[in-house]
Amino acid sequence: MSRFVCSLLVVLLVFGMLAGCSPAATTQQPAEPAKPEQPQQVTLKVWDILVSPTEDEVAKQLIAEFEAAHPGVKVERETMTFDQMKSRAKLGLSAADGPDVAQINQGYSDMGALVAANLLVDLTPYAKKYGWDKKLSPGIVARNSFTPDGKTMGEGNLYGVPITAELVGVFYNKEYFEKAGVSVPKTFGEFEAALEKIKSAGIVPINYGSLDGFVHIHVFAEIQNLKIDRAYLDDFIYGRNNVSFNIPANVEAAAKMQEWVKKGYFTPDFAGIGYDDSVAAFRSGGGAMMITGSWISGDTIAQAPGKFGFFLMPPLQEGGKRMSTGGTSTAFAIRKGTANEELAAQYIDWMVSDRAAQLWAEKGVVPVGKVEVQNADPLFMDLLKAWAYLNENDLVGHYLDWATPTFYDTIVASFAELMALKITPEEFVQKVEADYAAYLKSRNQ
Amino acid sequence: MDRSSFNRSAYLYLLPALAIYGIFVLFPILQTIYYSLTDWNGLTAPTFLGLQNYLNLFQDAVFINALLNNLAFIFFYSVLAIVLGMFFAVLLTSAPLRGMTFYRAGLFFPQVMASVVIGMVWRWIYHPQYGALNQVLRAVGLGAWARPWLGDFDWALTAVGIVGTWAQYGFCMVLFLAGIQNISSALYDAARIDGAGMFQQFWYITLPGLRNQLLVALISTLIAAIRIFDLVFVTTRGGPGYATLVAGMYLYRNAFVINRVGYAAAIAVLLTILILIISYFILRLQRTQEEESFA
Amino acid sequence: MGFANPAVNARRILGSIPTYLILTIGLLLAVIPFLLIFITALKSPAELGNAFALPQQFHWENFQRAWTQARFGTYFKSSLIVTLSVVGISCLLSLLTGYAFGQLRFPLKNSIFLLFLIGLMVPTEAYIIPLYYSLRAVHLTDTYWALILPQIGMSVCFGSFWMRGFFSGIPRDLVDASRVDGCNDWQTFWHVMIPMVLPGLWTMAVLFFIWTWNDFLLALVMITREGLRTLPLGLAMFQGRYTTDYTLTAAGATIVALPTLLFYVLFQRQFIRGVTAGAIKG
Repeated sequence: MSRFVCSLLVVLLVFGMLAGCSPAATTQQPAEPAKPEQPQQVTLKVWDILVSPTEDEVAKQLIAEFEAAHPGVKVERETMTFDQMKSRAKLGLSAADGPDVAQINQGYSDMGALVAANLLVDLTPYAKKYGWDKKLSPGIVARNSFTPDGKTMGEGNLYGVPITAELVGVFYNKEYFEKAGVSVPKTFGEFEAALEKIKSAGIVPINYGSLDGFVHIHVFAEIQNLKIDRAYLDDFIYGRNNVSFNIPANVEAAAKMQEWVKKGYFTPDFAGIGYDDSVAAFRSGGGAMMITGSWISGDTIAQAPGKFGFFLMPPLQEGGKRMSTGGTSTAFAIRKGTANEELAAQYIDWMVSDRAAQLWAEKGVVPVGKVEVQNADPLFMDLLKAWAYLNENDLVGHYLDWATPTFYDTIVASFAELMALKITPEEFVQKVEADYAAYLKSRNQ
Repeated sequence: MDRSSFNRSAYLYLLPALAIYGIFVLFPILQTIYYSLTDWNGLTAPTFLGLQNYLNLFQDAVFINALLNNLAFIFFYSVLAIVLGMFFAVLLTSAPLRGMTFYRAGLFFPQVMASVVIGMVWRWIYHPQYGALNQVLRAVGLGAWARPWLGDFDWALTAVGIVGTWAQYGFCMVLFLAGIQNISSALYDAARIDGAGMFQQFWYITLPGLRNQLLVALISTLIAAIRIFDLVFVTTRGGPGYATLVAGMYLYRNAFVINRVGYAAAIAVLLTILILIISYFILRLQRTQEEESFA
Repeated sequence: MGFANPAVNARRILGSIPTYLILTIGLLLAVIPFLLIFITALKSPAELGNAFALPQQFHWENFQRAWTQARFGTYFKSSLIVTLSVVGISCLLSLLTGYAFGQLRFPLKNSIFLLFLIGLMVPTEAYIIPLYYSLRAVHLTDTYWALILPQIGMSVCFGSFWMRGFFSGIPRDLVDASRVDGCNDWQTFWHVMIPMVLPGLWTMAVLFFIWTWNDFLLALVMITREGLRTLPLGLAMFQGRYTTDYTLTAAGATIVALPTLLFYVLFQRQFIRGVTAGAIKG
């Protein structure tokens, strides 16, 4: 018997030691917001993707001002990259202690899935209350809207509010343009002529690095947009009217990308260069142009003021209207079931306020709302002008990867093969269409 | 058996470990099997599918491709690592060398590094423009060989595989060293007297003497090749295209990015079965050999 | 003695030159990648062009920036808390199970031992998906527990198997002798057995340390909060964020690698012995 007691003691001792050495791990946890021990103190949990130094600076400033204006409120901010948010948001938002506000990617795979799982607050009443509906154009409201079952995008309730504008176009190095004797092209023909001219001047025409995959989508979409109209693109993204990816315009766009590869218009060995590396290379003179989004403008201006300009991919005919990929930053949304819904809405309002717009503009980032700017860097003025043009003419296009939950993986993998000249443009569109058709089929079941 | 000598307090000693292991490892394994039979997005309630996920997996070209890539990684993780490890082990023991432990420690070193660090370092080494590899190639006049290693369809898998070999062979070498030191030197002396050359000594004495170590190296490296995840995640994320996509990466994307949890669970089950089968067969091989050697 | 003849001696030295050459090349290939990070971590951004060039002067402040600005100090703290908890608890529990399996007789002993052996074989992938959802349901994701408990669960499998070998190797006579001397169970365990298994315990602790410190998948899945990230996770997430600042990334990578490096240099023999013996017995 004493043997048994003795071993019991050993085990108790071990557990005692466990208990003794473990609290170190738990005391690190902040008090849960649901348990307000000091009634005044409210913690608002925010997940955003404002990671670049410029974005981070603006966000920090806005949060400091928000906290100052709301005594007793503490914003607990967590930043992550786009990819990380993509993989974490769904899981985080379904947890009871998840973020109150999170910056969500639009599209079926992210916002759509969250709406379908009933994890997001319908923001329509807040949009009216705070006048967001007046700040956002109807096209932008549409792309942040879903039917409550999450099955149809582009209509129904508003679930997210974007803060900054995004537009994909052509950044160019002014010095190189001068050296090669080219000016900003007005037609796509002129654009291609410029590529050739820059190439023969011994400069890389298009700075490129595709190890991270998504860059292909932007270049492709800019060429694709030359020949498609809004009705097709909207139908394609919102999954309406059984449209197909296998259309001549897409085959031609894919063929054009291969043609540029063969002509050596892209950075040599682009397949082995990551996106961040490639942006850094562009800023330090790695090529004459880079087809990417306005999100690089803030840091570019900060590091190389006056050196770069921006234009939208020119249309086939001069003065013709063409869409441009982009729209807005991903959108701030509110987790359903949060105890701080009203405060979360105030936070979103703070993020789209005129003050916020002003701060963004000062940093060279195009805000969603209107903003008056003088004496900014020429690159920023180019971007503001382009955004105003797109917005007024309802030419803001979509990111293709919103189309289906698996579309991003499929199209990025297919692009890699296309750009390595391993498949033909026809095979490329067939591969992508297979993903798209399968999704439409499963959705209609 | 004498029941009175049973020591029931043993259960108390086992309890804490068994509880933690059971709750956090064993039970979830059973759950994985259950989830693999359902369609579940991780948010709403799962629906029972039976074996549909498995049937779909075998028709999923991306998954098959990923499995084939795992097979290709076996060449780098197992075959190449074992050959290299054997080479260095024999070299280190071929003659009394000064600093043998020093070399052993150095060659084994990559094995203790976090795979995230390894992946990151090699991503730099492979950078097309200012990576060390292309710099060296250009410096010695082999500029034509320089390429975007991790973005090249034909080379990406080899590039990642070489990193695997580099990280694994030190482990094999250390195993073989321990084994060689256990082989009686009298055997070598006898062989030398019979006029056996270096190669014959290796073939007839060293290699048979290392059977057990070889099997162990085989199990460990095969499992590593089937489980490969961290390295791919940090270097290529499976690209270009699906050129370096492996089952573990595909599982991760399905489970935690596009929320096809049931499907991912089916992948997990298949991977685990594969690992258990391989371990079982190699262990059986080891056992039969032991029986032979006792006979 | 061969050394008596100078000609033979010279030939032996000459003969071993190719061996040394090959070994040295292998050694350089194994070590250079890490030297490259370390050199890069000490450079200024302007000096990045040539990977092999030494910096003009050492920019130690990169480490300070990585520690504070890039938050590697926070990640370090997380790694330390998780690793120390896992190593401490797993060692204790493995001592208990090893003792039970190695010294005691009880029904179902072999079946239970087999159960632990399963844990040696299954990959993390086999249980991580449900584990994630279960832990989330009880609010344990985004806590250190989510890393510590599963890691202990895996570690005790190896630990039981490993310590059993050492406990069963204790000569019966020694235990009986201590009984005769009037030691009770506890005293026998503590004063007779523990000193005998201490070398094995050390090796096991070193293995647990390195496995836990380097773990990536568990942290990737369980942790979203930046403040709780462990070093490998922090480093992986650091890419794609400030990656154009390579000096900072390199400094971060050095911070991740340094503790294992130190541990390895200090316990190299135990570590290699542990890995080989552990693998062979497995």
